[in-house]
Amino acid sequence: MHGWRKMSDMECAHEVGVRDAALALENVTAGYPGHEVLRGMTMQVRQGEFVVLIGPNGCGKSTLLKTASGLLQPSSGSVRLSGRDVAGLKPRERARLLGVVPQKVESPMAYTVAEIVMNGRTGASMPWQGLKDEDYVIMERAMIYTNVLSLADRYFTELSGGEQQRVILAMVLAQEPEMIMLDESISHLDINHRYEVLRILRRMNRDHGLTVVLVSHDLTLSSEIADRMILMHEGRVQASGLAAEVLRADILSRVYDCELLVQHDALTGTVNVSGVLDGTGPDGNASRSVHVIAGGGTGIELYRRLGVYGFRVTTGVLNRMDSDAEAARALGIEAVLDLPFSAISPEAAEDAAALACQADVVVLAPVPFGSGNLVNMEILRRALRCGKEVWIADGVAERDYTEGKAAAAAAAELVSDGARLWNSSHELLLELRSMEV
Amino acid sequence: MIRGQRKKDVEPTVLLGVTSVSRGRVALFLVLVPLLLSGSLLMGPSGIGLPAIETPVGAAILNLRLSRMVMGLLVGSALSVSGVVFQAILRNPLAEPYVLGVSGGAGLGAAVAILFGAVAAIPLSLPVSAFFAAVVTLGIVYWMASRGSGGAPSVYSLILSGVIVSAICSSVIMFLVSTASAEGLHNVIWWMLGNLQPVALEQRLLAGVLIGLGFMVTWMLAMRFNALTLGREMAHYQGMNADLVIFAGLLSATLMAATAVSIGGMIGFVGLIVPHVTRAMFGADHRWLVPLSAVAGGVFLVLCDAFARTIFAPVEMPVGVITALVGGPFFLLILQRKMKHAWVA
Repeated sequence: MHGWRKMSDMECAHEVGVRDAALALENVTAGYPGHEVLRGMTMQVRQGEFVVLIGPNGCGKSTLLKTASGLLQPSSGSVRLSGRDVAGLKPRERARLLGVVPQKVESPMAYTVAEIVMNGRTGASMPWQGLKDEDYVIMERAMIYTNVLSLADRYFTELSGGEQQRVILAMVLAQEPEMIMLDESISHLDINHRYEVLRILRRMNRDHGLTVVLVSHDLTLSSEIADRMILMHEGRVQASGLAAEVLRADILSRVYDCELLVQHDALTGTVNVSGVLDGTGPDGNASRSVHVIAGGGTGIELYRRLGVYGFRVTTGVLNRMDSDAEAARALGIEAVLDLPFSAISPEAAEDAAALACQADVVVLAPVPFGSGNLVNMEILRRALRCGKEVWIADGVAERDYTEGKAAAAAAAELVSDGARLWNSSHELLLELRSMEV
Repeated sequence: MIRGQRKKDVEPTVLLGVTSVSRGRVALFLVLVPLLLSGSLLMGPSGIGLPAIETPVGAAILNLRLSRMVMGLLVGSALSVSGVVFQAILRNPLAEPYVLGVSGGAGLGAAVAILFGAVAAIPLSLPVSAFFAAVVTLGIVYWMASRGSGGAPSVYSLILSGVIVSAICSSVIMFLVSTASAEGLHNVIWWMLGNLQPVALEQRLLAGVLIGLGFMVTWMLAMRFNALTLGREMAHYQGMNADLVIFAGLLSATLMAATAVSIGGMIGFVGLIVPHVTRAMFGADHRWLVPLSAVAGGVFLVLCDAFARTIFAPVEMPVGVITALVGGPFFLLILQRKMKHAWVA
């Protein structure tokens, strides 16, 4: 019988090098013109492994799938499928090594389920020959595995989302790939259909050695099914390993940039990850106030999150019509405003310094510096002198456009006088919330 | 051994020979085709019925009708297969053979050839210039569309470039026509309306070869067109060189359309509607859709031509007028009832 390899072939699949890995990326940089998404990504998926790929939106999961399948050429690094460079593979060979289930498949024409599944055999058949009996047998087997054979004559578009997903899975399995990658394709299904697809995948994995890479946003569900989890962040692998090793509150909170709770279920061994609903309201922070120095849209995120946590927020100096000024107005934040598109006037700076000295904490957003807003550093200096805690967004030098890097020099001086640096707004909020009143 | 267990070892056969089309419908269709074609031979300006073959005049008339039938089959099948390809690749029900500027280019080539007197001076200059202008136009459209996307063009940039180039071509045609003499104007308009006056035998043979070639390529790619309707990405994942298939498909479809235009002028409607109706009747599987719409397009155009030369005999209507006028209501009726078998609402 032809078909997927049996488990016996896979028994020694554990200790394998890069050459034998089902998928191996080495230092891959890829993305779109002017925007790199994968930045020096290195990872491997062993044959027969069930890997769940997680990570926040925009971390490069979909780009990884496109790069692995040869749809996107990496600008540097190597992508190998079963030890062979993906760019050098014939399309037919590539389809046997890797099948991809995209997020959504839509057909503008009315095809029946059997016709959709037939597409899985396209790559295997030469243009001058039609489908052979063998192809129909393979199609049918794939449809039996995914339990869609009874739908064969129905129109694809008339099916429910869960049925459609199984049909697409049947289509990809009809390629008889050694590895299958699913791009968040089960996220929109209800819990019943989600588990149904997962059961099919796990069975193909266990019984036939199908390597599975599942991109998922459901961390809890992923932990139940994965042999290994890979956490991606900013185009690289952040953590990789067993669910318990990857799903740790400290790692996840940093990567997802929000507060997360991780609970281990001793009975089932699953890991439960959840966000925090309580505690985001005004939890006694109302008495404390934060003055934010921003501009050009750098403050919006801070205004919003500080507001969510119940801090009283003031801001300034902002130019009228600046996006931060608009946001402050919309959020009802007290702000010191000045004329649009002009340097900050001494009067406005004086008002802002007064506000800053009334606040408990003064935060400098990652605002770029020019001669027009260099006076902000003076406001910070005065706040520090009033005994206020001052937080400066790190990396002032990179956004300093003043002559002689005056802003960077001022920032360094402030830090030496006791100001502190912050990188992610999540960490900053943790610090501010743990602050003594 | 228990029966139920044995059954598992049996190879599954439910799907074997899966056919997406209804065999009864195909059979009926194939019986109708020769009937309709012989019916068209009975119609002509000299009267309805078989001409007296034993007289030289009658033989000549029948010969002429046969030639026109061949013309109609060639042009009609070329246009409708070309329409099938464009609708599949561009994933758009509004796509038709002329969408990527074939009509604009061919029209411009023909208008130039007619108005600058080449037609009278050099034999075959009209079809040749129309053909090459059409192919060059596709080249320009494809090149323009790929420049923006760096590599293979996207469907939307293809459609937009096609529309833009067509618009430019028709503006130039209108400029040329507006400054032309009354006779030149009449010739250009008459050509653009399309007609199936038999062209020289060699030209018919060459057209037959080109259209046959395009058809074979198209039919071979039929399964890949099925996959392409799920989008370029999905087609890539299924193990085909999607960009190559798109390119080969566009090239052969344009070849067929340009050849058809060069011998029959710009006959509209066939390439847009016949694919839709065939799809509605027989399903969207391109392995069947390509050959069936070739036959349907050919027969439809032959019938339209028979009407065009008979209704107002001895005056001949341009066949392009008849295609939409007669075919429109008929096809509208079919589509209304069967649309859900063709395109997703």
